[in-house]
Amino acid sequence: MKLFRILALCCFFVLSALAGLQPAQAQTTEAEASVTVVAQPEVEMADILRQDGKIYVVVAVLLTVLVGMIIYLISLDRKVGKLEKQLKDDLVNQ
Amino acid sequence: MKKNWWKVLAVLLLIFTVVAGMLTEVPRLAILNETIRNLYFHVPMWFGMTLILLISVIYSIKYLRNPTVRNDVVAYESAKVGILFGVLGIVTGMEWAKFTWGEYWSNDPKQNAAAIGLLIYFAYLVLRSSFAEQQQRARISAVYNIFAFAALIPLLFILPRLTDSLHPGNGGNPGFNSYDLDNRLRVVFYPAVLGWTLLGIWIINVKSRLELLRQRLYETV
Repeated sequence: MKLFRILALCCFFVLSALAGLQPAQAQTTEAEASVTVVAQPEVEMADILRQDGKIYVVVAVLLTVLVGMIIYLISLDRKVGKLEKQLKDDLVNQ
Repeated sequence: MKKNWWKVLAVLLLIFTVVAGMLTEVPRLAILNETIRNLYFHVPMWFGMTLILLISVIYSIKYLRNPTVRNDVVAYESAKVGILFGVLGIVTGMEWAKFTWGEYWSNDPKQNAAAIGLLIYFAYLVLRSSFAEQQQRARISAVYNIFAFAALIPLLFILPRLTDSLHPGNGGNPGFNSYDLDNRLRVVFYPAVLGWTLLGIWIINVKSRLELLRQRLYETV
């Protein structure tokens, strides 16, 4: 039953991602078309950071922080789980 | 592992949020520039806070109907994690505001309302800590929690919309969906909301279990 739920959830995510991507592609072509028709004012973005590939440094740092936090949370979760098990065993032994 | 699939989902969604949030294309907008990416980190704090405080209220109502220690503990821990999300939301909002609106605090109606909402929840913590007797504490703070949530929703989602606000979707200012929450943003934004909320629920899960263990320990000693 649990497995079915996980599968259904996975399917939902894949489908919603696909559904989201298709209009996004349509929109970008629309945006490109509008660029050719009307010269839009240049908006400053971090294009150079992308060209240099240094944005990946930022992504790496953010991922390190996030993964570090998550590993910490997992270890806390495990410690609490162990305590729960220990307490249950103690109650059985009493 | 089977029982914890949602924790795996939270990790995957958060990794996706950081990677896709930094690397995917975003609309090129004046003033906002690249800070539009804060949509994946600042806004989910508020969505997450609202959902987590909703969990807190549900457990408070459950406590009033069925007064168990577990219902009380989950309501309290959820409120605390919700407040954490709210504080992070207000701090990230101030940082974002400094560089787009010019001031950390520009007395924007939504900023003020969010601050009032958080103060109401700080009062919940103070109220809770002022009772020595467990049942009295649990019951009165559960009732207060319901009123706090009922005050928070209009403060965040109704009142700022009635006046002019710098936030999108308020006053004469169109919402994100009408001009720039396009599908490129949505693909990352919704997973981000779900990921951050699940992370909050995970913290509640660990903290509630720890608190229940602590109370069991005091019972047996």
